Amino acid sequence: MSAIEKNDARPWVGRALPRKEENRLLRGRGKFADDIKLREMLYLRFVRSPYAHAKIVNVDVSSAEALAGVVCSLTGAEIAAQTQPFIEIGPDACGKIKDYPLAVSKVRYQGEPVVAVVAESAGLADDAAELVQIEYEALDPVVDAEEAWTDKSILHDEAGTNHVWNGIFEYGDVDQAFREAAYVVNIDRMHFHRFSSTPLENNVVIARWNPKDDRIYYECNNSFPSFAIQFLSAHLGVHIDRIRVETSDIGGSFGIKITSYPQMAVCALASKKAGGRPVKWVETRTEHITSSAHGNERTFRDTRVALDKNGVITALVSRHIDDCGAYPRYEPLGCVIWSQVFPGVYRFKNARIDFTQAVTNKCPVGPNRGYSRMQHLWFLERVIDICGHELGIPTDDIRLRNYIRPEEFPYTTPNGCVYDSGNYPRMLKVAKERIGWDQWKKKQVAGRNEGRLIGIGIGTTLDSGTNNFGQAQIVNSGAPFSGNSQGANCKLDIYGEVVVSVGSCPQGQGHETTAAQVVADVLNIHPDRITVRTGFDTERNVHTGFSGTYASQFAVSGLSAVHGAAQKLKTEMKRLGAFLLETKEDDLEFGTGEQGPELRATSTGKSINYWGLANIVNVNSAVLPSELYELTLNCRYIWRAPFKVPDTKKKFGSLTLTYASQLHIAVIEIERDTFIPRILDYVAVDDCGTVINPPIVEGQVYGATAHGIGAALMENCVYDPVGNMLTSTFSDYTPITAMNMPTVKYDHIETPSPHSYSGAKGMGEGGAAPIHTISAALQDALFDSGIIIDDSFNNADSLFRAMMANETSQAKKVRVERR
Amino acid sequence: MAIKFAGDFEVKRTPEEVHDFLIDPNRFAALLPDFQGLSIQDPTHFTVKVNVGISYIKGTAEVKMELAQAERPKHAHYKGQGSMAGGNVALKAGFDLSPIDGGTKVAWQGEAQIFGGLASMAGGLLEPLGKKQVQKLIDGLQAALR
Repeated sequence: MSAIEKNDARPWVGRALPRKEENRLLRGRGKFADDIKLREMLYLRFVRSPYAHAKIVNVDVSSAEALAGVVCSLTGAEIAAQTQPFIEIGPDACGKIKDYPLAVSKVRYQGEPVVAVVAESAGLADDAAELVQIEYEALDPVVDAEEAWTDKSILHDEAGTNHVWNGIFEYGDVDQAFREAAYVVNIDRMHFHRFSSTPLENNVVIARWNPKDDRIYYECNNSFPSFAIQFLSAHLGVHIDRIRVETSDIGGSFGIKITSYPQMAVCALASKKAGGRPVKWVETRTEHITSSAHGNERTFRDTRVALDKNGVITALVSRHIDDCGAYPRYEPLGCVIWSQVFPGVYRFKNARIDFTQAVTNKCPVGPNRGYSRMQHLWFLERVIDICGHELGIPTDDIRLRNYIRPEEFPYTTPNGCVYDSGNYPRMLKVAKERIGWDQWKKKQVAGRNEGRLIGIGIGTTLDSGTNNFGQAQIVNSGAPFSGNSQGANCKLDIYGEVVVSVGSCPQGQGHETTAAQVVADVLNIHPDRITVRTGFDTERNVHTGFSGTYASQFAVSGLSAVHGAAQKLKTEMKRLGAFLLETKEDDLEFGTGEQGPELRATSTGKSINYWGLANIVNVNSAVLPSELYELTLNCRYIWRAPFKVPDTKKKFGSLTLTYASQLHIAVIEIERDTFIPRILDYVAVDDCGTVINPPIVEGQVYGATAHGIGAALMENCVYDPVGNMLTSTFSDYTPITAMNMPTVKYDHIETPSPHSYSGAKGMGEGGAAPIHTISAALQDALFDSGIIIDDSFNNADSLFRAMMANETSQAKKVRVERR
Repeated sequence: MAIKFAGDFEVKRTPEEVHDFLIDPNRFAALLPDFQGLSIQDPTHFTVKVNVGISYIKGTAEVKMELAQAERPKHAHYKGQGSMAGGNVALKAGFDLSPIDGGTKVAWQGEAQIFGGLASMAGGLLEPLGKKQVQKLIDGLQAALR
């Protein structure tokens, strides 16, 4: 039993309850996919392309297969002969792309798997992989999305173009707003860099294609298995019910593990070829960095911002070019997902954004914390920040002039999204107080007088959670997805234990704890009396086609499903209790007595514990009257988000249910001699509505902040002009560690969401806030030097180059028209 | 990742003699650092095997070479493609000959395009190592043409 007192009358939701999973995970008792060892298990190793773009002239696996201990190998041609290409979400030319899990006739990015070798041990598989001979004929690579759009070198011949998607998102009267503007700020080009996530645990797949029942069994750490099985079923030509996917503990995903289904396909096919023996693949760190998935890289061109005389933005026009790497896979969903946060936290109503996506000879992108929205929010934060500096309006003030006001919530954006709640001015006030804004402003002036480059920056971001998958129809009107749902089961087991299962696959988010808190409140028992079975299992857990853990939604979709299932169980328990205690349902109260959790009749004092209730239904059922036969005490609930299909022509509709927000402030000094940016102070203020478990929220804020600071200052997927990834190890990619993290001051406000039963909003994806904030702080430090921060990645080297370029170039990156 | 090399040297041989040496794989290829073997397919195509060792990446590289352009006694240009653990390499090497008093001036230039994981080492290890190996080749050439 927890140290928290049993008789504390406060609800469990909202308490700082220690995580139930902590004991297991911190003592090394977790069960991760690589911990699983099966009898007769084989090991798979990929042979990957050194080229970014090349024809495959010849593949010779004879030497590898001749090595003792090697069981088989697989080539792309073999796979193409027995499978269908993966489903493409995009329309038109994009839909013609033939994506197989091993390259068939061409390689399209460095690190693309070409051959799989399967052996009795991982070491043998490594040795055999080196014996595979592949002859390539190099082709011209294209590593820039704008260049790719010209189609001079085409990646997918069957598509005939590198174009993935293009659409114009236009709302309001843009031209009128520009005609009436007092100021027009023109920004030539901005660029959001490519980075990824570095979970502690890389991708792992164990597959067994059992010849006895012709079913495929997976144990893996994919974080969106219900999506993966849809792709695998169509690709492998296997009925979806014949694919079982189980996940156990997962050591982080941040979205990146959603797109491991190609490797899952290869492992299943390898198992089939090996006669049904289980095949394990454990990704190396370099494989993860070069070829799992990266976040979307985006370039913003020809941005024009109209403002009135008070510095309020009235209209925005821009062209956005997104680089999705060699294969669209989860794309082009990112071409619309950014529009969940179309105006960011600002009030402007008129805007036209021409959005384009192209394939390039780089690692395919995938959902990465803040997927597709962080790029857009960074863009908007750069816009507001640059406008403030250019017009001489303090950066806190220009934000206050433009923020959506607290009284305007629920706020409908120009594209029909409904922001549920928020109070951005209050967050700014809290953040300024926590960091000591006024004192830092004075220190900044003093520092500048001494020649120091000190900047103070604000970043405001949104974490939109619980997607309406109907937005897929905006990119492809034929996409058969809409809405969102999650399933959960809550039961009294035969001896009366409360057991909860839910279709999520947590990766450190504390689902065991928060689900237990929700059920504990419904049944008025201690959370330690509730068992929450975590880990996804297509055969054990209730799940829907949206089940998994991604897109900041568990607090809403997962816990709503858990809450619904617990309510159903409670209703059944009351019916049964009323019969057994010979009283009315409204006379019953739930609580914990001498013999554990129980129902009590308040009028008579008689009670029955959970064992008694479960016993009657499960093993003593002859005492039940026939009208109670329908009671099972095993209750399944599917929660559905109240979405409608968006208007695909107008690109209008509610795309997300909840909008958590984050506001960060950073104080940064750029060392004059080395150009190293050093964080002097940092505050993160979070609003995820009603907080279910404060330490879990705080932990996710710290994690997201670390990810964002790393992305802003250290982590960059660098490619050379021929498509070599130059940052393929931790030595070069330099992920942030505890050694690089500043002390983060944390605070929060709560604006409960009217869109969730508890007022909670999904959270955990606020990783973009530090990128906005650090760009803004660097801008503040360097604006007087004539530097415009137009890239999301800024380390000492890039700041040095920006300073040098500024000294030698007269080209203005920003131009202001004053009317 | 491209690594470029260039330089020149003078030898006391006629341009014809230098040219004949450069287009003879048996004599030229043997000068390659850590040369292991040679197989000649035809007068303009041959394959050389060289030992490669860069930090922990060790092994044999097999490089298919082609005498892409040769005009006696003015120039000889090679191109080649090879593979080894950690990556592939595409090579171009050219020798332009001009007569000088009592000998020949050899102006050489080369470019190695590295593909694969090996390329991420280019900025640090590969470039100086490549320059060292090229210098060995040039030293060998000068010695052989003395």
